[in-house]
Amino acid sequence: MAGGVAEKMESSSPMRHTTRPIVTGTSVLGLKYKDGVMLAADTLASYGSLAMFQDMRRISKTGSYTLVGGSGEMSDYAAITHMLEDLDRENKNANDGFEFSPKEIFYYLRAVMYQRRNKFDPLWNSLVVGGFKDGQPFLGCVDLRGTAFEDDVVATGFGAHLALPVMRNKWRPDLEEGEARALLEDCLRVLYYRDCRALDKVQLSKATSEGTRISEPYKLETDWASASFVAGPGGDLDGDGGW
Amino acid sequence: MFRSMYDTDVTVWSPQGRLLQVEYAMEAVKQGSACLGIVGAKHVVLAALKRQPNELSSYQKKLLEIDEHMVVAIAGLNADARSLAKYMRTECLNHKYVFGAPLQAARLVVDVADKYQRCTQMYVRRPYGVGLLVAAYDATGPHLYETCPSGNFNEYVAMAIGSRAQSAKTYLEKHFETFKYCDLDDLIKHALKALAGCVSSDKALDKASASLAVVGLADDGVAVVSKLVEDDAVQPYLDAIDIAPAAVEETKMTDEPPPDDTATIPPPEGEQAGDVDMS
Amino acid sequence: MASTGAGYDLSPTTFSNDGRIFQVEYATKAVENSGTTIGIRCSDGVVLGVEKLLTSKMLLKSSNRRVATLDAHCGLVLCGLAADGRQIVGRARDECSNYDEVYGDKIPPRVLAARLADYVHYFTIHGALRPFGTASMIAGYDPCTKTHELYAVEPSGVCLRYFGCALGKGRQSAKSEIEKLDLSTLTCKDALREIAKMIHTVHDESKDKPFALEMAWLTKDTGFEFALVPDDLVQEAEAWAKAKLEEDDDDDDDDDDAEMTPAPPTDAASPS
Repeated sequence: MAGGVAEKMESSSPMRHTTRPIVTGTSVLGLKYKDGVMLAADTLASYGSLAMFQDMRRISKTGSYTLVGGSGEMSDYAAITHMLEDLDRENKNANDGFEFSPKEIFYYLRAVMYQRRNKFDPLWNSLVVGGFKDGQPFLGCVDLRGTAFEDDVVATGFGAHLALPVMRNKWRPDLEEGEARALLEDCLRVLYYRDCRALDKVQLSKATSEGTRISEPYKLETDWASASFVAGPGGDLDGDGGW
Repeated sequence: MFRSMYDTDVTVWSPQGRLLQVEYAMEAVKQGSACLGIVGAKHVVLAALKRQPNELSSYQKKLLEIDEHMVVAIAGLNADARSLAKYMRTECLNHKYVFGAPLQAARLVVDVADKYQRCTQMYVRRPYGVGLLVAAYDATGPHLYETCPSGNFNEYVAMAIGSRAQSAKTYLEKHFETFKYCDLDDLIKHALKALAGCVSSDKALDKASASLAVVGLADDGVAVVSKLVEDDAVQPYLDAIDIAPAAVEETKMTDEPPPDDTATIPPPEGEQAGDVDMS
Repeated sequence: MASTGAGYDLSPTTFSNDGRIFQVEYATKAVENSGTTIGIRCSDGVVLGVEKLLTSKMLLKSSNRRVATLDAHCGLVLCGLAADGRQIVGRARDECSNYDEVYGDKIPPRVLAARLADYVHYFTIHGALRPFGTASMIAGYDPCTKTHELYAVEPSGVCLRYFGCALGKGRQSAKSEIEKLDLSTLTCKDALREIAKMIHTVHDESKDKPFALEMAWLTKDTGFEFALVPDDLVQEAEAWAKAKLEEDDDDDDDDDDAEMTPAPPTDAASPS
């Protein structure tokens, strides 16, 4: 915030930090499966309701074992990515055979988010941390208040409402990679249909014993001819009760 | 000792490119009573000789717990060590809060060594007058580090610092290649045997003066624990070793080349054998 | 050693009457007494090598590295007081990370070297500080100009770019060895061997403490990422160096037998 503005506000009213995000990304989804953890997100950054940037990559790698996906304010997400890069650089420089596990990254982000919330200056994100190290998959979620939890399936943003029930229904610990991918794509499709801040261009990523990989963005197959989306004779949407 | 105009400030280089104040601070470490550390496959053992500064006082603590996975042994100015230990404890706690896992000893030791170093490059502070042996078991296994007033630090398989540490070093150098095959009991025996050589002529290694610390994997092979062994708890370990003959034998075998050591060290041990019934 | 004392050599803020700053010169002594450190800029990268003296056989070889990675594309090697060196490394890493933060790009090695020199220089102008007893050689890759570079920063704050540089005890003879190489065609693989040979030559086994040869590089083969040279390559280079030195020794012996003039290589080998 510019110094001048802050001063002016201080003199007239109490100090105020970010109260709403500006450029935002929507849901990030994550699940554990047989070989590790998979994260998925679309690549849209919205400015309010405007679909402003369509190639915003919202999943990043940190170190050799960890993926971090972010929804919410994209500038804050970039700042967080930067913190993680610094952490990773320090780690690499030390050259002592040690590297943070996904769980440690998760704890770190929790500490950062909670500290910022206690300063009433939150980083406006929900973060999904997924990783795989020493044969152990890890999946957790941290939000702008520092609330942090681990689960077998997680979803942020609208996904917590629309995708999570689907994922919980279909999830098994022994999901094959293909099944996990299909499940996530189904969820992303549902989100694209129902969440007006979502996009059909998505990225999938996985953390397994072979390390972490993030796919290039690709387009989801969608079908707007589905009965629930077809307008009836009166012009209203009619169909199977989707609306 | 040679005195010069270059030896009163830390920030002054001597014409030979030496920092005499720092070197003097290193001497303070040698004044402290001995302590040593040994790294095994799954454990690090520290042993230290406590002094009783006054007959009416307690023995000065030599081993300080830093965290569940870390203990330090100190030689030199005790008060300096306490302030360093406080710093280390805080760092460990902070790290555990932020990362939910114990701090890597190597990273902490670098920070501590940097703390030492800064005192050698600024006019306003004196160097720390204490050396630490840091024993830790972390994600990369067991470690033993030595820090010293110059700001240098090193990682060892085994090391001894403090007064008469040379005797212990000689013992350790003879055996260090076997330590990784030793079980915990053997490590402790080695530690006490090495420590026995550092006892001054008018003292004996007994349960009041000897103290031990073990850092390493618990019996379940998963948890990392550290344990201080002091006072009565030391006695069984002392009973388990045959200090006097072994120590004499060691010094005979290894200390012959440097005559200084033989002159000062073996006789006390001979006396000690008579004074205390160790076997 | 030139004239000392007279009170003009006790602070970096004092000039002597002939315009020298003795405290900086004394600090340089600490570097000169340290293990030999060599850097060579080859056709396909930069190689750094250092004679790391070992104070005890119980020391872990990986302990107290003289080589430090600063960022993916650059690193340095230290010569002098190790503890002072860590401060320099810390500062260099901060510079790398800050540059990245501000400009979103990797710091060019020449900028890094200049900034590091500024930092080191600061310690030569204040009465409450002392100059660093450490010099550093920086190997870096500039992704913009696609060049790899070698710099050395001395305790005085002097910073120069080099094709070949030697610091520490055996610098004189190492320098003259480097001058014999054709640096425009020399590859990093060959430089490893040459450096190993130089360091083994200047190291006096009867007098000096045992040492570990520590090497790091930044080569085309590794995508110009700064890294420690893998152990097997270091060992291979050392084996080659030792064999080569024995060969030379034999040659010398032959010379002696033939009662020729004393062999010049032995002269070069003794640090002056």
